[in-house]
Amino acid sequence: MLFSSRELVQWLGFATFEMFLHLGALLVFSVLVVVKVDLPEQDLSWWGVFGPLFAADGLSTYFTTIVSIRLYQEGEKRLAVLRLIWIITVLSLKFVFEMLLCRKLVQQSSELWYGLIISPLFILLQFLMIRACRVN
Amino acid sequence: MRMSLAQRVLLTWLFTLLFLIMLVLKLDEKANWSWFLIFIPVWIFDTILLVMLIVKMAGRCKSGYDPRNGLQNLKKKVWYLLAMLLKLAFCLALCAKLEQFPKMKLAFVFVPLWALLLGALGHLGWTVFHDRRD
Repeated sequence: MLFSSRELVQWLGFATFEMFLHLGALLVFSVLVVVKVDLPEQDLSWWGVFGPLFAADGLSTYFTTIVSIRLYQEGEKRLAVLRLIWIITVLSLKFVFEMLLCRKLVQQSSELWYGLIISPLFILLQFLMIRACRVN
Repeated sequence: MRMSLAQRVLLTWLFTLLFLIMLVLKLDEKANWSWFLIFIPVWIFDTILLVMLIVKMAGRCKSGYDPRNGLQNLKKKVWYLLAMLLKLAFCLALCAKLEQFPKMKLAFVFVPLWALLLGALGHLGWTVFHDRRD
């Protein structure tokens, strides 16, 4: 739409397969949110609802590790390390956001305010902006 | 007129940042605004994208247009337009539920999002297959 898939791969640093994985996880997550809210008798916990997102993060980390090891073995050491650092940073920030949001929904504690929960996304946005300047 | 990658990223970044700030203000009860007002950055961003898309599609009608790969491009543009409308429908339904219809089933709100995500998955899968075949 605004970006081609090639530009997205360049900018976000994720392979097309990983984007496919995260989109699929988002789809399953949205279905589970609806089940949780519309069918309260199903007794589904918020941790269960967030399960697909956590699973996608884990699978993406595994995939990135394998790709980085392969790149390292083929002599592309700098590229392998840079890719691993970038993807781990993005996935960590995403994971922290999901974890905090899930805790907030489970406990409904007032100590955990939404500004704090969304702060990993603010940091991620700044990183994405810096990366866009480098890619361009 | 084609925007550079940096311009498009800046546009996306700016509107996402504005939306997140307004969302935090609303969720933390610092601002007692309507949900439709909170989504203003989303409405503006979507309007810009829609105008850009319609202008591109209208460019096909000009006399000097090169029709090579025309059908493929048209299909892509129609999918983009559909995706934009589905996103807009989801945001509108979500705002309506949060603002005026709290008893409305969440499933009705999520139907456009599911259609959008399924379409995006199909499009991404097709792109991977197409690129590999080339």
